[in-house]
Amino acid sequence: MTDTTSLAGRLAGTWFGSGLAAQDRQRLAAGASLRPFVIGEELLREGAACDTLGVVFTGLLGVQVQVPGRGPTTLLTIEPGDVYGWSALVPPYRSTSTVLGVAPGEVITFAADELRALLREDDPLAATLYPRLLQSMGRRLTATRLQLLDLYAREREVVPW
Amino acid sequence: MVIAAAEATFLPRERFDALLDLLREGGRTVIGPTVRDGAVVLGEITTAQDLPGGWQDEQGPGRYRLTPGHGPRLFDVVNGPQSWKQHTFPPRIPVATARRDGDGGATFAPIAPDPPRLAFLGVRACEIAALGIQDRVLTGGTFVDEDYRSRREAAIVVAVACTRAVSTCFCTSMGTGPEVREGHDLVLTELDDGFVIASGSAVGDRLVARLPGPRATAAQVGAASAAVAATRAAIGDDAVANEGLRDRLMDKLDSPRWAEVADRCLSCANCTMVCPTCFCTSSTLRSDLDGTVNVAQREWDSCFSTSFARVAGGNFRPARSDRYRQWLTHKFATWYDQFGTSGCVGCGRCVTWCPVGIDVREELAAIAPPAMPVGRVPPRPAAATTGRFDVATLRAVGPETADTKTLRLVPGDPALLGGIPGQFVMVEQPGLPAFPISASRYGETELFLTVRAAGPASAALLASPLGSEIGLRGPLGRGWPIDRALGRDVVIAAGGIGLAPLRPLVDGLLADRDRFGEILLAYGARTPGDRLFVSELDAWAGRGIEVAQIVDRSDPGWVGRVGVVTSLLDQRDFSRRPSVAFVCGPEAMMQATTRVLRDGGIPEERIFVSLERHMECGIGLCGHCQMGPFFICRDGPVFSLAELGDFFGRQGL
Repeated sequence: MTDTTSLAGRLAGTWFGSGLAAQDRQRLAAGASLRPFVIGEELLREGAACDTLGVVFTGLLGVQVQVPGRGPTTLLTIEPGDVYGWSALVPPYRSTSTVLGVAPGEVITFAADELRALLREDDPLAATLYPRLLQSMGRRLTATRLQLLDLYAREREVVPW
Repeated sequence: MVIAAAEATFLPRERFDALLDLLREGGRTVIGPTVRDGAVVLGEITTAQDLPGGWQDEQGPGRYRLTPGHGPRLFDVVNGPQSWKQHTFPPRIPVATARRDGDGGATFAPIAPDPPRLAFLGVRACEIAALGIQDRVLTGGTFVDEDYRSRREAAIVVAVACTRAVSTCFCTSMGTGPEVREGHDLVLTELDDGFVIASGSAVGDRLVARLPGPRATAAQVGAASAAVAATRAAIGDDAVANEGLRDRLMDKLDSPRWAEVADRCLSCANCTMVCPTCFCTSSTLRSDLDGTVNVAQREWDSCFSTSFARVAGGNFRPARSDRYRQWLTHKFATWYDQFGTSGCVGCGRCVTWCPVGIDVREELAAIAPPAMPVGRVPPRPAAATTGRFDVATLRAVGPETADTKTLRLVPGDPALLGGIPGQFVMVEQPGLPAFPISASRYGETELFLTVRAAGPASAALLASPLGSEIGLRGPLGRGWPIDRALGRDVVIAAGGIGLAPLRPLVDGLLADRDRFGEILLAYGARTPGDRLFVSELDAWAGRGIEVAQIVDRSDPGWVGRVGVVTSLLDQRDFSRRPSVAFVCGPEAMMQATTRVLRDGGIPEERIFVSLERHMECGIGLCGHCQMGPFFICRDGPVFSLAELGDFFGRQGL
């Protein structure tokens, strides 16, 4: 079992955690645990209850969706420092995708029930955590738009008349 | 020049002989500039007629010309080939005799210095600095060169402040001129009608007191100062970045440039002979016919002579590159360690008198460039060459992606292999339009072109059988300014086929890996199958480059990152250390990427992109590739964001 202080310290070294105040990291770490994962290990399943929010310490996670006729498709990968499982804080608390290990590593996980309870009773903590979470989601939204733009697509010949 | 009006005397030009008479008193000989054999050399001056009145000089790398008919001025010729060390440290002097006695004995006797009493007339500020440096070298250390010391003590120094400069002058960079500040007995500044003369020593005071001219007016003194100030402005002060040069140069002992400059250098030693501070000598012996009396002579020698570092059984500097490096690093670096000063005064003689025009200012900038201060964008000149037309032979074709191949061509003209990373060639095939392709590698004998089948001409090229002859014109345009990355962290962001023009840059960075900070290659592609040079990417990672790859759309076999290329960059902080970015890919990708790099702390001056446009001529004449004020082929294809400003990413330009 990893102690709270060292978890809080490692959290501070991540992009997500560096945006939180020290005492907030300490409070979050108190209910958190460290989880190693291997390649192909499923951390969240699409459509299932999203029971944890996590931050990647090391390794790489893939965000997969099932596409009928195409099978599982990886939409994006999550780098160390970034967060996964935001559905744990957003109703109906179900995972929108499957999250699994692409390169082995470790994540810090926060149990969804406890985290929600904590944020309900601690407004200052919620006020620092939610903007960071929104920042992460906004970044993913922007990336998705760029993906939609298809940056590498050939210019289609435009007929000028 | 620093003259207080009360101290200065005005000597009309027609009375100049009065000064010469004063200097010659007591049997002193006046040595000054005089025209001989098409050059201004140092010789005896008995009247003003002996001076180079009405002459001016033109000097450039490997070029010296006197041009007549410029009015009455006596000192309009700047520096000739000879410096004053001709007289303080002559090319050859006897230093000792050795005599055999009949009965097997021998006697050795030093030859005592017997310095002539000279007045040096027309000594420039850089020359006074050179005398000061030789003073340190020859009299300031543990041992003193007595001959030099006695000659210096016996001489009067009459300086002339420079009211003209030539293109080889760089005293301002070395902090030695053009103002005469110390080390002189008299200093003359020539005006249209005469000379403003000031004293710099007790000897000078006595001479000034006996000059026939009136006290100089404030206007005359002002005109003299203004003339010297104008000379300073004409020279500029950015020829040699002298600050920190010692350390920069000593860090570059392994620069490939030494071999390059040695290819041009003839090892003729002219630069050391004309240098006013070079002091290396050899002892030679001259014997009478029967070998009874030997005279040992001290003769100028040069670190460029092949025998200079030779020992029995070997030579410590066998290669010309060794000898050039020795000279340059001594002059501009280790001289500081030995004598506490640079060995260069910026007189420019080594530039003028180099028969192949090697310009020391240029070599220093190439070998040991200064770190570029943030926010200062040097003007990047347009491409300097129209390229060469050549017929190359297709030697090999290798597949890269479904529609892209790398062609290896053997040019007939090796100049095509000497391009800069990021430059391009125009590919010409009979009956098909010419099109531009960036070099994707400069090999020893092969030019690598990575080509996507995008139209009839490129498709025809890709379908050419081995052995086909392909027309090439290049290298063209401005490439990646790799020198801007020296000592900095480097971000290379490539999208899809955009890695091709960046590969020679990677080659260049790897060839000199320790001259750069951390290097990150962020490579994005639409799918794993759209990546170029896949087998090389891992090799680069093993050679000190962080290679991060990402694809927009994964496929079942892909186990790497998925997402857009910006996600490789948008959580990094590039402001911690000075960084430079080189970006190439589709324009939409470059816009998204450069935005992230800018937000991450890299200034626009140091973010470079390579633009693609329709090109036909490749040299800015046909007009196809115009974008705003630029012709992409000639002014680019590589630009910094700062250069492009709002033109970058603007639709429809």
